[in-house]
Amino acid sequence: MYNEEDSVPILCDRITDSMLGLTASYEVLFVDDGSTDNTVGCLKSRNEKDPRLKIVRFRSNCGQSAAMAAGFKHAQGKFIISMDGDLQNDPKDIKAMIDMLDEDCDMVCGWRKQRKDKLILRKIPSKIANYLIRTITRVNIHDTGCSLRAYKSEVIKRIALYGEMHRFIPALAKMEGARIREVEVEHHSRQHGKSKYTIARTVKVLMDMTTLSLFIRYVHNPLKYFGGMGLLFLFSGFAVSVIYLLSLFYGMMTVEEQNMIIMLILLFVASGVQYIIYGLLAEIVSSTSKYILTRR
Amino acid sequence: MADKVDVSVVLTTNNTSEALLRQNRGIVESLEGAGFSYEVIQVSENGRAGNSDTESHLRQSFKESAALKRGVKKAKGDIIAYIIGRVNIDTAGLNVLVEKVKAGSDMVVGYRTPRMDSKLNQFVSRAFNGLTRMLTGLKLHDLNSGVIVARREVYKKLPMYGDLDKFIPILAFRNGYQVTEEKVAQMPGTYRQSFYIKDFINRMLDIITVIFLVKYSKKPLHLMGLFGLILAAAGMGISFYLFIYRITGMGGIAGRPLLLLGVLLLLIGIQMISIGLLGEMIIFTHARDIEEYDIEEIIE
Repeated sequence: MYNEEDSVPILCDRITDSMLGLTASYEVLFVDDGSTDNTVGCLKSRNEKDPRLKIVRFRSNCGQSAAMAAGFKHAQGKFIISMDGDLQNDPKDIKAMIDMLDEDCDMVCGWRKQRKDKLILRKIPSKIANYLIRTITRVNIHDTGCSLRAYKSEVIKRIALYGEMHRFIPALAKMEGARIREVEVEHHSRQHGKSKYTIARTVKVLMDMTTLSLFIRYVHNPLKYFGGMGLLFLFSGFAVSVIYLLSLFYGMMTVEEQNMIIMLILLFVASGVQYIIYGLLAEIVSSTSKYILTRR
Repeated sequence: MADKVDVSVVLTTNNTSEALLRQNRGIVESLEGAGFSYEVIQVSENGRAGNSDTESHLRQSFKESAALKRGVKKAKGDIIAYIIGRVNIDTAGLNVLVEKVKAGSDMVVGYRTPRMDSKLNQFVSRAFNGLTRMLTGLKLHDLNSGVIVARREVYKKLPMYGDLDKFIPILAFRNGYQVTEEKVAQMPGTYRQSFYIKDFINRMLDIITVIFLVKYSKKPLHLMGLFGLILAAAGMGISFYLFIYRITGMGGIAGRPLLLLGVLLLLIGIQMISIGLLGEMIIFTHARDIEEYDIEEIIE
């Protein structure tokens, strides 16, 4: 469900074929993320032939998170599948995913075990990223970047996607209490278009990830984090002060050493007080949010 | 409906009656001349627009975003022309802008030329517009001409509070609408030749608003976290250097200003990161109300 150029006919055929074996009824939602080429035209002609293919068309390019959010919002099925429109995912894996959903799990992630990308450029960064995401967000799946996934509708509709949050759907789902499993999926090499990795982007993703890991643990009671940090600093400040007073009492310090230690105390106390104040502010934010209030 | 019109003109005004009359005459002549049906909605701060005793209100802050909102709500036309009275635009050319919207543009913004106000004003305006062009990628010459003509649904789609009305073209552009510009004339008359520090500060704040709105309102940590990290890293570096310096016995550090700098940078760094985190938290906990896309059509 993403924008792409001349992949449309092949993709439509593949999806229709893969759905033949399924007894359930289905709809296919294409989210066109402000394509400048004739993607919409192709989709429209398909839509005339098969009304089960629906199109949500954006006015401009809004990014993958927005596209997925719109798709999830307008999807009507009990189960929802997400996938990229670049033909790297294969719709024939969908059946196995839906079968798994029927059991005791709310979300099935695709695992591209045999990746068909160029080794250095994509595989290695993605391996590292996956390792980091796995450890930081504590979701135990191999491949968090594969967009071919199946969800129960009530789970994915509770997740709010914005910014670059689509990278962290498994972690967000876990926050909602979803049980997540994974299944190996086919992966084709990219035929059209290119994707890029940059250092700046990596730093941003890292920041997002750290933030999210904090949210996972602390969004319901942020004072636990900010206050914890604050107390740590304050306690350090206090400890250094005691040392300072003691040595002052016994006259073991030169003036130079005293000045130095006072700077240290200042740093600790100022940071500590600041953290605690932010913690209180964060509590206000958290306690006024509808989202938090409904699950506290 | 019989009272359906082509164009609604929303005129927010604090003007004296003379200028207002002239603007009104321009609107009437240009729209009537081009054969549009129209209505003019005047919104003023105190509901006494056109009174000559409103001179005292000229300097008062006038929430134009609220006025615009009220005007758009009342407007019956499919095309709405938003004119800020205080900018003193010659409205005689309004029909050209309206026709451009009719022809398919989502929004047409006026572009004052030739400028009649003071050279200093022009320079500041040019610098401001150049900077915004660079930051937003929206290629317009004059954001503050005070004339905007657009289809009604464009206005309805945009967030409108506080001073955001200054950035309507940018917001529309970011929402995927096609924004173009058209020359308009300034009314002959006297212009304020003075330039206040207050105006300058306001302009600077406007630019910061634009940057933040456009790039970081949904991811504050990307901006503040980055600055914070850089500052904190510098502070760490300085502190570490001084630490080594001290324990290897190269001399005292307590009297050195560098120590103060190190501590200062660390503190500011920690502060910025924390505030960035707090911002992220506000967005995250209110994410349900965020819709970052604009659907043009849904084909079932």
